[in-house]
Parts: sequence; structure tokens; C-alpha cells
Amino acid sequence: MTRMSVRLFGAAVFAIAALYTLQSQQYLITFGDVLGPSVFPVIVGIPMMILSASLVVFPTGDVAWPGRDRLWRQAAALAAFVGYTLVMEEVGFPIATAALIALIGFIMGGSPWRALALGAVFGPGLWALFDQVLGLPLDFLGTLFG
Amino acid sequence: MTLRTLTSVKLGAVLAAALTVTAAPATAAECIAPSNPGGGWDFTCRTIGRVLSELGLVQGNVQVTNMAGGVGAVAFAMVANDRPGDEDLIVATSTVGVTQMAQGRYPAPLETMRYLAMLGADVGVIAVDNDSPIQTLAELTAAMVADPSALVTGGSSGAGGWDHIRLLMVAQDAGIEDLGAIRWVQFDGGTDAVTQMMGGQISVVSTDLGEIAGFVESGDIRVLAALSDDPIPAFPDIPTAISLGVDVTGYNWRGLYTGGQVSDEAYAAWVERLETLYNSTNWQEAATSAGLVPIWRGGAEFEAFVREQAAVMEEISRDIGIIQ
Amino acid sequence: MEVFSLIGNGFLIALTPLNIGLLLLGCFVGTLLGALPGLGPVNGVAVLIPLTFAFGFDPTSSLILLCAVYFGCMYGGRISSILLNIPGDEPAIMTTLDGYPMAVQGQAANALAISGVASFVGATIAVIGLSLFAPVLARAAIHFGPADYFALYILAFATIGGIAGVDPRKTLLSAAIGLMMATVGIDPISGVPRYTMDSFHLYDGIQPIIALVGLFAISEILLLLEKTAKDRPKAIKVDRWLPQWSAIWPTRWAMLRGSGIGFVAGVLPGAGASLGSFMAYVFEKQKSNKNGTFGKGDPRGVAAPEAGNNSAAGGALIPMLSLGVPGSGTTAVLLAMLISLNVQPGPLLFERQPDLVWGLVASLYLANIALLVLNLPMIGIFTRLMMTPTWALMPVVAAITFVGVYGISNSIFDLKLMVFFGVLGYILRKLDISLVPLVLGLLLGGDMERNLRRAMSISGGDWGILIASPISITLYALTIGFLALSVWLAVRDHKQTKAERLTEG
Repeated sequence: MTRMSVRLFGAAVFAIAALYTLQSQQYLITFGDVLGPSVFPVIVGIPMMILSASLVVFPTGDVAWPGRDRLWRQAAALAAFVGYTLVMEEVGFPIATAALIALIGFIMGGSPWRALALGAVFGPGLWALFDQVLGLPLDFLGTLFG
Repeated sequence: MTLRTLTSVKLGAVLAAALTVTAAPATAAECIAPSNPGGGWDFTCRTIGRVLSELGLVQGNVQVTNMAGGVGAVAFAMVANDRPGDEDLIVATSTVGVTQMAQGRYPAPLETMRYLAMLGADVGVIAVDNDSPIQTLAELTAAMVADPSALVTGGSSGAGGWDHIRLLMVAQDAGIEDLGAIRWVQFDGGTDAVTQMMGGQISVVSTDLGEIAGFVESGDIRVLAALSDDPIPAFPDIPTAISLGVDVTGYNWRGLYTGGQVSDEAYAAWVERLETLYNSTNWQEAATSAGLVPIWRGGAEFEAFVREQAAVMEEISRDIGIIQ
Repeated sequence: MEVFSLIGNGFLIALTPLNIGLLLLGCFVGTLLGALPGLGPVNGVAVLIPLTFAFGFDPTSSLILLCAVYFGCMYGGRISSILLNIPGDEPAIMTTLDGYPMAVQGQAANALAISGVASFVGATIAVIGLSLFAPVLARAAIHFGPADYFALYILAFATIGGIAGVDPRKTLLSAAIGLMMATVGIDPISGVPRYTMDSFHLYDGIQPIIALVGLFAISEILLLLEKTAKDRPKAIKVDRWLPQWSAIWPTRWAMLRGSGIGFVAGVLPGAGASLGSFMAYVFEKQKSNKNGTFGKGDPRGVAAPEAGNNSAAGGALIPMLSLGVPGSGTTAVLLAMLISLNVQPGPLLFERQPDLVWGLVASLYLANIALLVLNLPMIGIFTRLMMTPTWALMPVVAAITFVGVYGISNSIFDLKLMVFFGVLGYILRKLDISLVPLVLGLLLGGDMERNLRRAMSISGGDWGILIASPISITLYALTIGFLALSVWLAVRDHKQTKAERLTEG
């Protein structure tokens, strides 16, 4: 049963490759372009369909997915990443980054206070490194406060 | 020993300087180059940005942001959606950008933006390899009339882009009917096209002179015609297409636009600043050394010019068959 | 020899206090930027351009500074590959394959030292090539046409099955996914937007560096999270702080072979450092992997790609300086800077501005020595990074990748894309599918397609052009030879294991 994941993955890739190849036929024109924009996707898409189909029929490798408690941690980390992308421009770089570091540190097994301290040091620290030293402009306060 | 101390003192100074320069306060102006570093638009932003701060026309440095994609479409869409009223923002554009707009390849129409000024132009040329049997523009067009698909042509734009259109305008003037039969190969830049021509892959290159001037000077390639009204000062021997009886010009001007909701005052202020910049020796030198011919058009005059050029470009594109 | 007096002059120019200072600054900043995932030479050079303007350095000094950054990045990229299994930049991706396993086995110091020395060897060989043969090589490289480039990419993807993983189908599928992603965006030849889902964020396609950082860094965190606190290593045990000469010396031939392959890839505009390190690894593996140690921490698997990537970076300066053709993103930025300083790279540069060219060549020799001297003592510091507990190290690494990717184009969309790639990378790794081919497909796919289409435009639709030149025929012959050898080796190994099983049973 552990090979079911490989089969499922193969099936998903097959579907994507089939859609991809089909969609390429929409890219017609053109003027002064011999091969056109639709041929290369077919050259890639068809072998991709064959390879993924072969994985559905002859899967290899064993996959052990994590248990439920681990999945929660992963989901929490993902939520932290996505949340970061949503609030970073609003609250500004140092605060958002401090929160991200603290959250991920906590999720990865650090004690809450130590994770917070880590975020409090590295949030502003990374801002200083990138904005002040390397000259990549990063918002300090964000649109909410600034 | 003296050398060592000197070195470390200098290094310390440079390091300290590096820190202070990059730590300068937020800049009052930002220029978006809708390309990766290295292209013509990047040059426009970086040079204009440098001269603006040299002349003290803006506070501090001008921040240059590269926002590549879709031959300017990505930056255009971003300004239209997110920053239409940002009065500190200028964006580089050129004939290439207007060609894209005219062919409907940008997500919003031309009128979405306010066009500030044109500060210079690059001249289009038609060139062949030094060893090519073709000596003159007339020989080239004769060969193309005899068999439009005989010669492989190329340049830095995709099919239907400005380098391609300029070549097709010459071909059309020569009386070639089947313009679609002319073989066109896109390369990532003018020098790529020229080196591929030197390697024997293609026979004719149509692109801007500035980028490939070194190959003209070294004698590796032969320019058959310049698509300008007057001979180019740096290369007086190159005949203009007009002087050869082919009534085609093809400049690639470099200019700037700003968001469509910028106030009239801010717009006028930018035009004034750019005019001061244009008249400075700093700009004139920088432009000439990059192979540009300094040309000024600003404000309402430039707005009108852009609209007119877009209309002309649309007509040519339709005429040639690039758009329906 | 005229060359030696020219180089001698170059050293006189390079050895001014200002230029030495700039060189050291560039090496340091470059190593730092290269080591930080997401940031690479393009950022480094772009960050320093305003500085050169602000101080009004002459073109030679500016170029020395920026090339030192460029070389420094190439050195720095390997550090996080080895210590964290996260490549610092694209060309460092191959170094993860054997570098990280070495680090896990407590050999981090040796891996860093081998890669440092390999970087030095590769870059020095490239600079020697640059000083002796630049104009000749540039003239030779122009005979490489679109059909030949296409053949080169075919060779790369045909050999990709040999890099990692047990099931070659999975490796090829990974490459195909990368190639598929490379077609997203506005097609530069026809101007048609493909697979953009009407989002203008995708008009410019998927930037390889975003995919790379997401695939490796974010998925690494997700993988670490599924281990229970007990079996997750607090920190990797380090046997030794300092490298041993006895570990470095046996890799010398791998370094030299890698340098040679990388240099050729570098001289060809459009191949570049990533292809250089990839080819160097694949050929080294094919040649030396007698006991199946590659991918499990073989020192030669660190030496070959690092030599290849640095050699290619140096080689890429040849078409940039003598033709004005940028072979990579970084050389494009260098080119732009030269042009804005009123230096026109191209066929006349060597004649007209010998001081600039030879001053640069001399400072590249010096930069290499400086980088080696700078990097070797830092090995002890870097290996101590491995002692940092995971809960403290990885969140900071994650934050750095977020800033690095945000710094590329100030786009929140890019961050979301990176998280998406993180999830994809996690799934692929769980399924035992190597991520390296995916990134290579994404990196090379665009050029592969464009060169195929250019070739077809030249021939007017005749596929015969693909095998019409001696160069492409040679490359296809190499491809077939390589595949045949792989099949033969696989069959032989299969028979051996079968025989072993029989004797055991």
C-alpha cells in the first residue's frame, strides 16, 4: 500500500502533463516564427505523460508519511510561512520576521521564551544586515504603521 | 610595511564608505527598469538616476528597481494596478515598449500612463558579415526580392518586434509582397545576433547601432544602411537608407512614463527636471558614449508623439500582417 | 612572450592600495552574498554598482570590485550547500549531492576545504585560460550555433538520469517538470503569454532561484518537522574542526577534470556555470563511481562540480569581454556597468584598453588567492554552525531565504511561489524524486527551447539542421556513447548483485 502515493503522484502528473500538452495547442500564431510556441510543450508533455503513466503502472520506492501529530506541526509551519507573506508588507519587515522566526523556532521544538528571544534578535538583525549593510530596501514599519 | 598600513586604511575607508552609502536615507525617487539588469531600459534608469542625483535634482540617490517581464508588460501592469498616483515613480520605456502597446500586448491601453519625455534615441541599422558577398543595401533588397526566404535575418526582438518591423519596412519599400516568407531569428541581444552572424548562422542583422558599434569599428561586420534622417556623427561613412532611396527611418528612442493619476503639478515638475537633465553635459556625454543621439521631446509634445507613433506602429503591424 | 609582459603590467595596476582594498572588500561581500540562500552574484553586483558611481572609481577599479564579488559568490554558494543542504545559488546545487552527506558524516571541514581548494583550482585554470587564449576562444565560440546549443542541452538532459536517485524514470520526470515550468511566461520569440493563468506575475516566468530556494530550504524544514524530537539530531556531530590534507589530495584529478569541463561550458555563452558544474559532476561520477559512493559523500563529488562551477564563472568572462556577449545574468550586469562607465566590451577591448583587461586579469589571480586565504580559516567558524541546534538554526535560515527572495524583485507573489515550491519539494523528496533535475530543467529549458526554435527558423522548418553541423554530430555521438556506457554499467552491476545474491543464498 505504501506505493499508492507514487501511483497517485504519477496520476496527478499525468493529468497535469495532459492538460499542459492540450493547452499548448491554443498557442497558435504566428508571424515569422517557424516552429511556433506550441511545439516545445508537446516535446516535453508527451514524454512526461509516458513517464508518469509508467509510474502509475510500475511504482517504485516506499513512502512513509508522517503521523497525525507531525502533520499538525507541518501545517502550522506552512501557516506561518503563508501568514508571513500576507502580513509582511503591512506590519513591516522586522516585526513580521521576528514573529516568523519565533513561531518556526517554537514549532521546531525550541522553548517558547528562547524562540521569542531568537526572533527578537534576528528580526531586527536581519533587517539591519539587508537594508543597512547590503542596501536591499526593506520596509521598517510597513503600511500599517508607516 | 607602508604599503600594508596604507592598504588597511584604504580598505577601512572603503568599508566605512560602503556602509554610509548604502545606509543613505530613503530616496525620494524611484526608477523602474522593466527589464533585467543590462538592457537598454536598465541603462536608461541607471544613467538618468545617476545624473539626476549628480545634478541635485532629487534627494539622495535614485533607487533603480528591475522588474522584468513581458517586454515591459509586468511593470506596466504593476504601475496601473498598484501605483497609478505615485509621484516619485518613473518608468523607462522606448519605441520597443510602444510597439508592444500598439500591438495590444500590454494588459492596459497606452492612455493608462502619462508620458514624460524622450531623452535620446538609438539608430537602427541593417548589417551583414564582413565576408558577405552583399556589398550594398540595393544588393540586399535585390536578393530578397528574387527570393524572400533566401537570406536568414535576425535581431534582438522577437517576431513582430521593433527590430523585425524595421527590417520588414525596408523589405516592403523594396517591393517584397510576401513579407512572412522572410526568415527571422530572435536572439537575446544585438551582440548575440551579430556574433551568430559572424559564426555563419544568419546572413543579415537588423538592430540598434549602439550595442554593436564595436563590431563595426573592428571591421567584423559591414553596415549597409542606417535608418536615420541624417548620417550618424560617429560613423559618417555609413549611408542612411533615405540617401539610398529607401524611405525608412527606425529610431529606438529612450524615454520615461509615470502613473496615470499623477497630478499635473508633479507631472510638470518631472518634465522640468528631465529637461534640466537633458541640457546637462553629464547626460549629453553619457548618452553619446552609449551610442545614443540626444533628442528632446517633453510634456504634451511627447504625449502627442507617443500616441501618434503607436497609431503608426499599429498600422504598420497590421499592414505587414503581424496583427489582424 | 608578450602575454607575460602584459600580465606584468596588469599586476602593477592591480597592486595599487585602492584596488587591493576593493578586491578584498569584493571577496568578502561576495562570499557572504553567495552563502546566503536566495542572494547571489546578480544582487551582489547590482548592490555595489551605486557604490562605484558614488566614488567615481575608474572603470578598472570598478570592474575589479565587481569581479571580486562575482568570484566571491561562486566560492560562497557552496557553504550552505554543504552545511544545510540548501544551495546558496544555482551553480552550487550539485554540491549538495555529496557535500551534505559528507557534512552529516562529520566531514564538514573536509568538504568545505575540498570545495574551497576546488574553487581555487577551477577559477585559477579559468583565469589562465582567459589570459592566454581569450580572443582565440571567443572566436571559436561563435561557431556554436543554435542547433549546437540544442545538442548540448540534449546531452545534458540525456545524462541527467545518472545523477541521483534509484529510479531513472523519476529523475527524468523531475527534469520534465522543470522543462514544463520553463515554458511559463511570455514567449520571447512570439510574444504569446503561455501558462500564465492571466496573472501578470507569471509573465516573466518562474525565476529559477525562487524555485531553488523553495524546493530546498522550505522543504528541508518540513522534512525536519516530521522527525520526532528524539530522532531529530540536535546538531550534526563534527569529527574534526580542521581539514586534512590527506582528504584533499586524492581529489586532485577530479578538480582538474571538473575545471576543464566547466571552462568549456563557461566560454560558451548560454551554457554557464550551472551547466558547467552539472556536467563536471556527471562526468566525474561516470568516470570514478566504481564503488557506488557518489551521492553518499564522495569527496570527488564535491571537488568536480565546485571546480566546474568556478571555472565556468571565469570562462564566462571571455565572451563578455571579447565579444560583449553576456553568458549569464551576472556577466550581463557587469556588461551594463562597463557600458555605463563608457567602456565598450567587444572585439576591440583588448587592443584599446589593455590596462583594463590585464589589470582585471591580474586582480582575478589575486582574488583567487585572497578567497582561498579568506575561506580556509573560516572553515572552523562555519563548521561550528553545525553545532547550532536545529530549532535555532532553521528559523533564521528560513527568514534569510524569505528576505533573499523578496530582495530580488520586491514581490510578495514571489514569496508565495517559494512556499508553493517548498510543498512541492517536500512531496518530491518523500517520493524519492531528486530535485536537482527539476532546477536544471527550469534553468536550461528556456534556452533549450529558444535554440531549437532558432535553428528551425534558420532552416525554414527543416529538422535536418539539428544534425547538420560537425559540432552537433559530435555532441549527439557523445550522448549516445554516454547512454550506452550507462546501460552497460547498469547491466553489469545487475549481474554482479544477482551473482552475489546467489552465492549468499
